[in-house]
Amino acid sequence: MTPSAQNNRRQDARHRGAGFAVVLLALLAMLPWLAAPALADPLDGTLEIQSAFVNNASGVYQLHVRTRYPANEETVAALRDGVSLSYDIDVTVNRERRFWADAGVVALKLERELNYHSVSERYVVRDPLANGEQKSFASLDEALAALGNVEAWPILVASQVREPGEYLVSVRASIRRGRLTDALRALMFWSDDWQRESEWYTWSLPR
Amino acid sequence: MVAAPLSSRRTSIMIAIWVAVVLGGLIALFLSSQNSAQFGRLQPWILLASAVAVAVLIVLLARKVLQLVAAYRSGVPGSRLTSRTVIVFGALVALPLLTVYLFSLEFLNRGIDSWFRVEIKQGLNDAVVLSRSALDLRMREHAERTERFAGRLAEGSGEGVLFLLEDELRESAASEIVLYGEYERIIGAASRVVADALPARPPSDLVRRVNNGEIYVSLEPIAESQYIVRTAAALPGASLARGDARFVVVVYELPRQLAELTDAVQRSYSQYGDLAALREPLKYSFRLTLTMVLLVTLLGAIYGAIYSAEVLFKPVQDLMAGTRAVAKGDFGTRVPLTSHDEMGFLVQSFNDMTKRLRRAREETERSRLAAENERERLAIILARLSAGVIAIDRRFVLQRANDSANGILGVDLTTRIGRELVAAENEGILQAFLEALQARFAAGREDWREQIELRASSVKTGSRVLVCACVPLPQAVGESAQFVIVFDDVTHLLQAQRDAAWGEVARRLAHEIKNPLTPIQLSAERMRRRLLPGLVGADADMVDRSTHTIVQQVESMKQMVNDFSEYARAPSMHIAAFDLNRLVAEVTDLYRTQDVGIDIVTHFETDLEMVEADRAGIRQILNNLLTNAFEALEGVRPAIIELGTARSESDGVACAVLTVTDNGPGFQDDLLGRIFDPYVTSKPRGTGLGLAIVKKIVDDHGGRIEAQNRPGGGALVRVMLPLRERTRAAARERRPELWRERA
Repeated sequence: MTPSAQNNRRQDARHRGAGFAVVLLALLAMLPWLAAPALADPLDGTLEIQSAFVNNASGVYQLHVRTRYPANEETVAALRDGVSLSYDIDVTVNRERRFWADAGVVALKLERELNYHSVSERYVVRDPLANGEQKSFASLDEALAALGNVEAWPILVASQVREPGEYLVSVRASIRRGRLTDALRALMFWSDDWQRESEWYTWSLPR
Repeated sequence: MVAAPLSSRRTSIMIAIWVAVVLGGLIALFLSSQNSAQFGRLQPWILLASAVAVAVLIVLLARKVLQLVAAYRSGVPGSRLTSRTVIVFGALVALPLLTVYLFSLEFLNRGIDSWFRVEIKQGLNDAVVLSRSALDLRMREHAERTERFAGRLAEGSGEGVLFLLEDELRESAASEIVLYGEYERIIGAASRVVADALPARPPSDLVRRVNNGEIYVSLEPIAESQYIVRTAAALPGASLARGDARFVVVVYELPRQLAELTDAVQRSYSQYGDLAALREPLKYSFRLTLTMVLLVTLLGAIYGAIYSAEVLFKPVQDLMAGTRAVAKGDFGTRVPLTSHDEMGFLVQSFNDMTKRLRRAREETERSRLAAENERERLAIILARLSAGVIAIDRRFVLQRANDSANGILGVDLTTRIGRELVAAENEGILQAFLEALQARFAAGREDWREQIELRASSVKTGSRVLVCACVPLPQAVGESAQFVIVFDDVTHLLQAQRDAAWGEVARRLAHEIKNPLTPIQLSAERMRRRLLPGLVGADADMVDRSTHTIVQQVESMKQMVNDFSEYARAPSMHIAAFDLNRLVAEVTDLYRTQDVGIDIVTHFETDLEMVEADRAGIRQILNNLLTNAFEALEGVRPAIIELGTARSESDGVACAVLTVTDNGPGFQDDLLGRIFDPYVTSKPRGTGLGLAIVKKIVDDHGGRIEAQNRPGGGALVRVMLPLRERTRAAARERRPELWRERA
C-alpha cells in the first residue's frame, strides 16, 4: 500500500470519527424528543372569552363572563374514564400608571370542577359560587354551557377603586386536569396536555 | 511558567462549580422529599436548570469535540492520546449509564403499568355496573309509581289534583312533587320541606322526553352523599288546552346509606380515572426526567473526560512539543510545571535536561568559538610566518598548509588539502621535498630537524636549501598520526653568506696578491733587460721564455685579481634613465664587429619605457653575458645569440626584461644550482666570476636573474630589472620572496 493511500485511509477514518461524534451528539440532544410519545391534544377546539362585563351593584362590582369551552370525543372519553377537569376563570383588576408598572388591585381565580358521575351517568359541575352545591347535566354540552356562564361574580367593592386613574379588568379562562397533587402536577409539567389558557380579555372598569 | 497557575485556577473553578451543582441538587432533592408542594414549586426550576445544563453541556461538548477533531486532523502533539482516552473514558461511562438507563426505563414502564392493572379497572367498572343495577331497580320502581300517579292525576280535575299531590307525597317516599302545565308552568307542587322559593325549572331533556311520551327517570347527585331520583311522566290524555296540566315531576331522595355507597363507588372510580389518565404522561415524565439525568451525567462525564484528558496530557503535549523543539536544536524550551506529581517530576527532569543541554551547547559553542579564534589566530600567524608550515599524516594526506609553504615549494597547496600530496611532473622542488620526507619517515624518524638540500630535476628552479623540522602531533585514540613540518628556504641566506665570504676572499686576494705581483713583473722585466742581451743560444732562449712566461702569468694574475677586486668592490651605482634597447644595440654592434661566425639577433620591445639604472653596470651585464655566450659557442656552427628586451610586471613592480640565449651546449646540470656562485665555471679557462658579477649587479638593482637550459639546447639567461628607482628598494627587500616566486 502506498503512503498516499494510507494517508487517505487515515483521513477517511478521521472523517468517519468526526461524523460519528457529531451524529452521537445529535442523537443525545434528540433523546428527550425520542422518548416522548405522540399524544393527541384532548382539548382541541376553541377556548375563548366571548363576552365579559362588570356592573356596579350597590357598590359591589360583579363580573359576568361568557366563555366558550372546547369539547370533543377525547374530552368525553377522558371524563367518562373518571378524569376530573378544572375550569378556571382568572380575573385581575389593575390601575394604570403612566410612568410605572400598573398597580394590582385584585387578582382572583374562580375554580370550578367538572367530572362525569359514572353511576348516574351525568356530568357534575361543582361551583364554589353555588355554595357547595353541585349541578348535574345529562350531556357535556349542557355542562359546558353552564360552566361558560358566570353570572354576578363579585370581584371588588367600590372602595378598592377610589384612587383616580383608569382601571383595567382582565379575564382569562383556563382548563386543567383537576384533582392532582402538587407532586403529580409537577411531574406532569413536561407532558400535561390537559392544560390550556385563553387570551386575556381586557377592558376598562366603568365607574 | 504562567500557564500552571492559570490551569490550576481554572481547575479549581470547575471543581467549585461542580460541587455547587451537586450540593444544589442534593438540597433540592431534600426539600422535595420533605414537602411535595415545595417539590412542585421547585420541579420546573430543577427541570429548567437541567435543560439549561444539557444545552450548555452540549454546546461545550460540541466545541471541545470540534477542537479535538481539528487538533487530531492537524496532528497536534498529544491529540491522538487525548482522543483515545476520551473514547475509552466515554465508553466506560456511557456503557454502564446506558445500561442503567435502559433498565430503569423498562422498570418504570413495568412498574407504572402494574399500578394500573386491568383487573382494578374491571373491578371498578363492575362496581359501577352493580351500583347502577341496584339503583336502577329503585329508580324503575319510582318511575312506575310516578307513571301510575300521572294516570291518577289525569283522572283528576280542578283543585282535586292538588290534593292528589299532597296524598301522593304523604303516601310515597317522594320529597317533592310538581305538576307542570304548558311552557313548564307550575300548576301545583307538594314538598316535604317548606320551600322559600319555587321549584327549579325542569331540565330540558326531561321536558323533551316527557313530551315524547316517555317516562323520565334520572339519578342526580346534588351534594356530597346526597342524591335524588327525579322521575317525570306525562299525564295520559292531557288536553292541549291552555291551563291544563301536562306532566308531573316526582323527586325521591336516595337513602343516606345508599347515597354514601354510591358516592364511595363514584369516588373510587373517579380517583382511579384521574390516576389512570396519568399513566402515559407519568411514564413520559419519568422517561424524560431519566433521560435528562442521563444526558447531564453522560455529557458531563464526557466533557469531564475531555477536560481531564486535556489537563492530564497537557504536560505530555508540552513535553512532546519540547522534545520536538530540542530535536530541532532549540534548547531554550521550558515546559511549564503544572503539578508536583510524577508528571511534574518528569517535566522537571526534562527541564533540567534541556538546561544542561543548553549549558553544554553554550560551552561547546564557546569552545568552538575559542578554537575558531585560535585557529584564525594560528592561520594569521601561519600566513605571516616566513617559514612554510604543512601538516600531513603518515599517508601524506595534506591537512594544512600556509602561504609561505606555497611560496617555498612553488605550488598552491591550499587546493590540495584533504588529498594525498603528490608532486606533478613540473613540480621538482615539491618532488624533492616529498622524497626527503619519505626517506625520513621510512627510516622511522618522526621528530627531526635538519637542513635539506633539494636538487630539483628542473633546471629552471635550481637547487634549494631548506631548514626543515618535523614534529608529530598529539593524536587522539583512533586517529592516524599527523606531523607538522616547518621549513624555511635558506638558499638566499646561504647565497648571501657565500657572497660575503667570496667578497672577503676577493678583497684579501686584491690586497695580498696584487701587491707582490708588480715587483715580480718588474723583476722579471729587469732580468730580461739585463740578462737577455748578454746571452746567446739556449740560455738566451731559456731566459726569454721564462721571463716572458713570468710577465705573462703575472699579467694573467693581475687580471684575475682585478676581477676579484671588481667583484668585491662596494657598489657605486650612478642611477640615470636610459634607453635599454639603445644600450643593447650599442653593445651588440661592438660584438658584431668581431667576425667570428656568430650571428647576433636582437628583439626589442618598442614600447619599453626608459630604465632608471646604472648604465655602466647594465653594460657590464651585457658584456659578461655576451662574453659567456661567445665562449660557449666556440666551435658551434651555426652559432646564434639572441638578445631580447621586454616589459613585464612582477608582484606589482614594472620590470624591464633582458633575455640572452644561445644555441651552445648549455649549463652543466650539476652546476645549474650554483651557476651564479663565484668561481663556478665549466670553462677550462676563466675565473668563474662573470655570472657572479652579473648577479651581484642585478641584486644591487633589486632585480632578479634566472639561468636555465633551453629545451632545444642552449642556455637562457633572463634578467629582470625594476624600471623605476623608487621601486628598487622595495624590490630589494622582497628579494627572498622574488626568489621563491622564481622557483
